[in-house]
Amino acid sequence: MEEKIRCRLKDGGIAVDGLLERLMGSEALLEQFLKKFLTDPNYEALCRAWEAGDEAGAVAPAHTLKGMCGNLSMTDLYELTGRLVLALRAGDRQEAGQLMPCVQREYRRAAEAIRACWP
Amino acid sequence: MGMVSNTILVVDDDGINRGILRNLFSAQYEVDEAENGREGLEKILTGPEAYCAVLLDVVMPEMDGLEVLRRLEAMGYTQRLPVFLITAETGDATMKEAYRMGVMDVIGKPVVPYVVQRRINSVVELFRARKRLGDVVEQQQSELLQQARKIIQLNQGMIEALATAIEFRNGESGGHVKRIHDITSLLLTGTELGSGISSREVEQIALASIMHDVGKIAIPDAILNKPGRLTPEEFEVMKTHTIQGALMLERVPQLRDSEAYHYACDIARHHHERWDGGGYPDGLRGDEISLWAQIVSLADVYDALICKRVYKDALPRETVLDMIRQGQCGAFNPRLLQSFFSVEERIFQMYKKE
Repeated sequence: MEEKIRCRLKDGGIAVDGLLERLMGSEALLEQFLKKFLTDPNYEALCRAWEAGDEAGAVAPAHTLKGMCGNLSMTDLYELTGRLVLALRAGDRQEAGQLMPCVQREYRRAAEAIRACWP
Repeated sequence: MGMVSNTILVVDDDGINRGILRNLFSAQYEVDEAENGREGLEKILTGPEAYCAVLLDVVMPEMDGLEVLRRLEAMGYTQRLPVFLITAETGDATMKEAYRMGVMDVIGKPVVPYVVQRRINSVVELFRARKRLGDVVEQQQSELLQQARKIIQLNQGMIEALATAIEFRNGESGGHVKRIHDITSLLLTGTELGSGISSREVEQIALASIMHDVGKIAIPDAILNKPGRLTPEEFEVMKTHTIQGALMLERVPQLRDSEAYHYACDIARHHHERWDGGGYPDGLRGDEISLWAQIVSLADVYDALICKRVYKDALPRETVLDMIRQGQCGAFNPRLLQSFFSVEERIFQMYKKE
């Protein structure tokens, strides 16, 4: 893998080495799955539900997003979405309200890195 | 032996997850996918033998993983098909519930390749080994049963061969012993005479009936095959076939271990006794004569009269029945006669077929 891409992804919060290991070294799959992350509707669904005040409706997309982040070795985003799911499930609006901006910030960071690698 | 499947079913709503697992296992297995619990369950129910393992996500739309597991368990599939939960929900309650429902293992998400590969490979191998072993045992069992059946058939064949050889000397076709066997069996299974006698015992008695005349091998040709009536001296010799038969059977050690042995000796010795005590060799009377010896005695008389024998021609059926009824050919237990007449039509049909 090109060093430039590796560094850019790492800057985006993606633990590239762990991800490659999970994908048995397949760079093709890595590219495919990261691009898929960009088009996955769950992040949009989470934001929409949250803005609409629909916390219960936010649980499912948050959960799926969390699973995806874990699989794609987005370490920080995985941790944040994990906490967000717990807060939403517990109905803890305040905690969720503090987490949402962090999740959005980390999401944008990862997404920008991916777009920069494969414009 | 049945084909052993090499396909893993991945049930997960997340395409990336399915892709990761497919990539992990595609070198060693075929991988099939389902996008939710309901689809996964349907695929499994269509043919559980098509899969060697199921990897099941927990939180899914349509039907969640635990519900799929619950249904599989209710139908007993988790015994034959290893199911793994691949889940981020490694909470205590979920795990406990899953193991209670027969899940093989719970593997945390995001997956670590070598962990998930090792765990799944060893379980799949275990199930395969168990199945191979089960197939071998099943195969061996059916082979043993087949051999046992062959031995029993051979046994019966040898006994029939012996009896038939003796009959041949007597100028018979070989059908006599077979008919005595069938009449004995019919009287014990088709009338109240057999009440309290198990079907296994009936088989042994019928087998023993085949040997009722083996003692005739000790009777000289001149007497055995004499066309006319026997002199009193000749008849005395002829009568010894009962005792000779029982003595012969006692000298076959293999027969002594057989369940038919006691029936065979009894029948050989006593199939010429009479209900009124006027028979031979022991002059037994009434119930002193065993039921099976009585049955063979009557069957023997009926068969002799119905068929053409060396010393006489066959008689019409009505004449035969009248003779038996009127006691012209021996004295029989009234209860035995009643049962006999109740199935005589069926017995007579046997002769028509020949």
